[in-house]
Amino acid sequence: MANPPATAQERRDALSGIVEAEGFFRVNPPFLLDINPYFELAGEEFGRSLLTTLASDGAEYCLRPEFTIPIVAQYVRQGLVGNSAAYSYMGPVFRQAGDGPTEYVQAGVEFLGQADGDRALDEALTFARRMLAVYGVEAPRIRLGGVALFEAILAGSDMPDVWRPRIRARFGHPDAMARLLDRLAEVHNGANGAGEPVDVAAVSATVSEQMQAGGFNPDSGRSAREIAERYAEKQALAAAHVPLATIELLRRYLAIEDRAPAALEAVEQLTRGGNFESAGPLVALRKHLAMLRAVLPQATVSFEASFSPRLDYYTGIVFQMLSPGGAVLASGGQYDRLLQRLGASQPVTAAGCAVWIDRLEEELLL
Amino acid sequence: MTGLTLAIPSKGRLEEETREVFANAGVKIDRAGGARSYFGTAEGLPDLAVRFMPAGEIARELVRGSVELGVTGTDLIEEATEASQDVVLPAHPLGFGKADVVVAVPEPWIDVTRMADLADVAADFRSRHHRWLRIATKYGNLTRRFFARHGMIEYRIVESTGATEAAPAAGTADLIVDITTTGSTLAANALRVLEDGLILKSEAHLFVSRRASWGAENRAQLDQLLARLGWAVSGLPGGSD
Repeated sequence: MANPPATAQERRDALSGIVEAEGFFRVNPPFLLDINPYFELAGEEFGRSLLTTLASDGAEYCLRPEFTIPIVAQYVRQGLVGNSAAYSYMGPVFRQAGDGPTEYVQAGVEFLGQADGDRALDEALTFARRMLAVYGVEAPRIRLGGVALFEAILAGSDMPDVWRPRIRARFGHPDAMARLLDRLAEVHNGANGAGEPVDVAAVSATVSEQMQAGGFNPDSGRSAREIAERYAEKQALAAAHVPLATIELLRRYLAIEDRAPAALEAVEQLTRGGNFESAGPLVALRKHLAMLRAVLPQATVSFEASFSPRLDYYTGIVFQMLSPGGAVLASGGQYDRLLQRLGASQPVTAAGCAVWIDRLEEELLL
Repeated sequence: MTGLTLAIPSKGRLEEETREVFANAGVKIDRAGGARSYFGTAEGLPDLAVRFMPAGEIARELVRGSVELGVTGTDLIEEATEASQDVVLPAHPLGFGKADVVVAVPEPWIDVTRMADLADVAADFRSRHHRWLRIATKYGNLTRRFFARHGMIEYRIVESTGATEAAPAAGTADLIVDITTTGSTLAANALRVLEDGLILKSEAHLFVSRRASWGAENRAQLDQLLARLGWAVSGLPGGSD
């Protein structure tokens, strides 16, 4: 596999061979998709990269920007929850890029409802490796991120419970996370945070009057009660200090970024003696690392503690495979929370990856 | 390919003040057909095509490079492109149209004083209300960029083309991103700017499009215009500097 096939057609045939290999059910979701699931799941940030179009009744659609959501939505709609499935795909996706609307070719796999979620992730990694091999890419840089590991460390860290969801919500956004941790640390330097206890009923009454005076409808959006409760909570939060030792631990954890064995060793040292249920996620990371070393001996694998997509349905492990120049050639991971977000009535394991074929083609030109 | 086009806002205060500033600097702009004409002339510069256009359209045309010069606001330029430094040159500030683009929430939201509060409210808004937090604005791109910097993704933008400040009371949005000069309109609608909610300070400028074609002839014509106006500008596209 040292030399890639010489012509684009031969390469495309080689890719098709992998996509259509036995065991995969190749699917081809429509080009025109309901836009709402994208906004529901990924918000405005992803929404800005969509190519949108309007129905005559004003309903919004988008050109297929990726494959995972239509494939998963179809699986749920067809009542397949409870069954295991392995889907593969290859075809165009459409995004707004810096210089206008752009068509790319993506190929990938989705493993849904597999009994062994870790094995499913290995299969996704294997798929990515085989696609890269078509282009002779044998030594990619691989970034691993641990969503489950971070969640375990957060759950086991000493802090008032109210802070955990706020910290979790910023995982995957290093700047916002750093600002929050700074803010939490600052409180320790400032004046005594514990003020007068808040009388929620009284504050709620005042807010309610303000809302009436301002002409705001009390039944649309945030209610006076909700505002008063969060106001009280904010005062309580100011008093509910996250211990400096915890902030320091989280900062040190999030800064871990190294070749995978050394980085995982650093995680282990940092969490030793603590009350963290991090053993499981660490074992899983080491297993996948060993698998990657066996099949991609020339790859450089790093673990980056703060690496995660900014989407709360990711679980377990996430990964990217990059070119020497830093282009993301493949990305994927585990997203066990996605199925329920799309309407599944019970938890369903999910793992997969997407490969950017155009970027692989560009690598050949370098 | 013959001659430069200068785009001027086509109505209201912006048009008046632009023509005033240019006239005071020595270039009188005429709009022969009156307010209904899209074409004008600059006295003493017969080769300069003057076109009257809405300010937002001027920003988009500058970004596309289909007009070489234009007067519009920094806010509209930044809304039209993420890469303004690469695309246009703010050649000269004109001293009017000064305003701030800000994030404003209902006054009664006493628990929300900073962007971090808003990010917290947004994060659990959907589970409480079964819909996204809604933000009314005509600055969709500016809003998305600013909110992304603050790590906030759980919201939806409601496009608003007029009377944005009334959207929260009308119930069509929860908060707004809008332009404000004195803050009185916000106050009248019981809205309050967040402490760190300033997205940008805007002012009308003469902009030069870097995407337009800048051959020697166009560049000489631009130099002539700037010399007449007495405005020294560095970093112009084309030419030798």
